[in-house]
Amino acid sequence: MRGQETKPLAKKSITFLLPSKARMEKARLFAKRAKGIWRDFRKNLGGMLGLIILMFFVVMAVLAPIIATHADPNNQVRWQYNPKFSPPSSKFLFGTDSLGKDVYSLTVFGSRASLIVGIMASLISIILGTVVGLVSGFFGKISDELLMRVTDFFLVIPWFPLMIVFATLLGKSFTNVIIVIGITSWPSTARIVRAQVLSVKEKGFVERARAIGSGSIHLIYRHILPNVVPLIFANTVLLVANSIFSESFLDFFGLGDITVVSWGTMLEEAYDAGAFSRAWWWIAAPGISIVALIMAFYMIGDALDEVLNPRLRRR
Amino acid sequence: MASGFRGYLLRRVIYVALTIFLILTFNYMLFRVMPGDVARIVIPKHASPETIAQLHTYYGLDKDPITQYVIYLKQTFKGELGKSISFRTGSMVGDIVAPYLTKTLFLVGTGTVISIFVGVILGRETAWRRGKIFDKVGSAFFITFYCMPTFLFAIVMITVVANYVPNWPISHETSDTYEDMDIVGKFLDRTQHLILPIFALVIETIATFSIITRSALIDVLTEDYMLTAVAKGVRPRNVLRKHAMPNALLPVVTVVAMNVGWILSGSIMIERIFNYQGLGWLTWQAVLSLDYPLLQGSFMLEAIAVVIANLIADIALFKLDPRVKL
Repeated sequence: MRGQETKPLAKKSITFLLPSKARMEKARLFAKRAKGIWRDFRKNLGGMLGLIILMFFVVMAVLAPIIATHADPNNQVRWQYNPKFSPPSSKFLFGTDSLGKDVYSLTVFGSRASLIVGIMASLISIILGTVVGLVSGFFGKISDELLMRVTDFFLVIPWFPLMIVFATLLGKSFTNVIIVIGITSWPSTARIVRAQVLSVKEKGFVERARAIGSGSIHLIYRHILPNVVPLIFANTVLLVANSIFSESFLDFFGLGDITVVSWGTMLEEAYDAGAFSRAWWWIAAPGISIVALIMAFYMIGDALDEVLNPRLRRR
Repeated sequence: MASGFRGYLLRRVIYVALTIFLILTFNYMLFRVMPGDVARIVIPKHASPETIAQLHTYYGLDKDPITQYVIYLKQTFKGELGKSISFRTGSMVGDIVAPYLTKTLFLVGTGTVISIFVGVILGRETAWRRGKIFDKVGSAFFITFYCMPTFLFAIVMITVVANYVPNWPISHETSDTYEDMDIVGKFLDRTQHLILPIFALVIETIATFSIITRSALIDVLTEDYMLTAVAKGVRPRNVLRKHAMPNALLPVVTVVAMNVGWILSGSIMIERIFNYQGLGWLTWQAVLSLDYPLLQGSFMLEAIAVVIANLIADIALFKLDPRVKL
């Protein structure tokens, strides 16, 4: 009787004490690991260059109203008296477009659309991909069969036309662009996550946790997920680059929201106005920005991949 | 071996047939589940109920979904892809699409062949000279073009050409005077019009293939058997050609297979920019005029084309690598 009574009490006291200590230890380990990653990352020239470019654009997006020389560049009241097709000058740093809008200010504000779409769409895609990959890898059997067939199907049909079809059917809006990119780019993530889950699932510590009686949710959350995250982290950064490209293309294809200032829309307007023969600045400004931002994410992703998953790279 | 290959082929073909069936079903559902009814776009705002009913019958929207689905499948297999609602209103999508499909297949086919050749050669040469200046400059170029969206590169090219070569054609696939030309003139005219689109199309895939070939080859070149070959006295270029390349090509073939869909996507961008009247241009027209049957038809063809291209690549991979067991 007594023994049975003391046991739960002891357990209770342990559980009462454990989390805070464990949490502190965990936090310490996490900080240590983050420091280590940062130390390795700093040595990577490409990664650092990418980070600097990215910071440049983030600052640009955040401080857009201050940096831009012409507030609210898309507002007709502001541009209607400006000279049209004016080459770069001290008043219009990157010149003006066919309507007289200031290209420099448009480019500055355009960084917001690219960054928001890039990050939000990748977030949707990463969540979808991770959930699908986790469920199919962890639970296996029918759910695996079913989910992987769906994933394969989405991998095999050309993602680009699919994006166009979705965007057309959903209608033109800023949110829809994010949704469309998000729901068409998850399959590769699902594949990566599933492969990693399958290999982690067989590890000793998962077996042990299961033997103590851990439930599925606990197993996934505490043991599987932490081992999957580093792998998808680098992948996410590359996805952002992809999403930014997709966004600019959808805008260029006339499927974006024309009321939102974005580099893709600028390029579309420039192309339609025939800027290639008389206003190179109108194409150069958004064009260079897109390439620079995509390249920044690409270089960061590449560097992260090298730092986080060294075994997969170079012998 | 032969029977193994036959079995593999059979399994792949069944799988592809199943995928195509799924594409058809998906294509059907997508355009009915999503907001936007075909009839709603065609019907004028204050149309009488009779007109609406008539249009519904015309587009086959009055039957229940399952009957519609069966009819859709039947018609698709007969090559009838529905009636276009914008592009020569009322004509069958299948008839509209056919000439555009050939043009796109030509563009994508030529583009793929060129990118494979140039990409593999560039990747090989940079890997062979790794660490040297040629490799460093080359890799920097690869990454730049890899990150540069195809449509952006096309616009940049048009900008440059329009400014420096004013008479070079930057749009459409023939000149206005095409009909009056003799056979040589026609051929030259077409070629001249094709150079820019193809160049713009291949640049990104060349970069992709070069990067893959380079890294695959560097992996192989650091293997021990490369040292063995050199120790045996095999001449350096022969080490590269006979010992390294065959092993490095396998991942390249896989990537090429995965990139067929990507080249098609590039073609969509290129066609819109150069007004090259292929499937991508048609897709764009369908998007502009919200012509769902046309969009549906071109999407289906694009999807099926990619699936079949993947099948061909899979078979090539099987032939190349005796180790592949699927």
